[in-house]
Amino acid sequence: MAFSANLEMTGSEARITLEGELDAAVADQFRQTVERAAQEKPQKLVLFMDKLQFMASAGLRVLVFAKQRMGRDVAIYVIGATGPVLNTMQMSGFHQAVYLQESYP
Amino acid sequence: MIQHSLPASLAALSDIRRLVTQACQTAGLSEDATYRLALAVDEIATNIITHGYEEQGMTGDIVVSLDQTDKDLTVILEDTGVAFDPRAQSLPTAEDLDKPLDDREIGGLGIFLALAGVDRFDYQRSDNVNRNLFVMNLA
Repeated sequence: MAFSANLEMTGSEARITLEGELDAAVADQFRQTVERAAQEKPQKLVLFMDKLQFMASAGLRVLVFAKQRMGRDVAIYVIGATGPVLNTMQMSGFHQAVYLQESYP
Repeated sequence: MIQHSLPASLAALSDIRRLVTQACQTAGLSEDATYRLALAVDEIATNIITHGYEEQGMTGDIVVSLDQTDKDLTVILEDTGVAFDPRAQSLPTAEDLDKPLDDREIGGLGIFLALAGVDRFDYQRSDNVNRNLFVMNLA
């Protein structure tokens, strides 16, 4: 399934909805979306991942980029990650670095 | 053994995952094991394409071989890029994986996920060919 990353600004929140398969071929698309979000100086980054079917380490590296680009005070929320995508985040310790929630708000 | 030759470009990653996933489904692997194998192959293929070929200014192919026996499913990736043994790379430690994202080094995660996700991984280099082998046991 083709990858898409859609940004929506809601007040001081940047909301990005991820769909499809996030591999190294499309990770830059996600990175550019995060960059556009960062320019809005949000207080919170909310990533909706319930329709994300696959995430390689290239996707995890964009999460690291997001944190380092937006700063320590911007919390990252990951919403709806399930199954293997969630496992990948847990194996790499990312579940401790973001707020994982089943739904939002 | 079934073989497919694909151009070594990142655009081929989804095709490689599809081939692996189809072989897993034919072999009756669980969804979890299927995903872990597809992720492992994807991560090593990404390394081959970016570090083995593109960063060297080289082009070439990746040959994907799929072999099922009554005991296991084996995927082999072969390429003619620079020699690269994933097992020889430094992997993130437990301490690294506990670090907040602000302090994370970007790198090493892909190989970590690949090696951790399969039942057996092997690498050989002979006649200027890299050979990465992934094995998943069948229940």
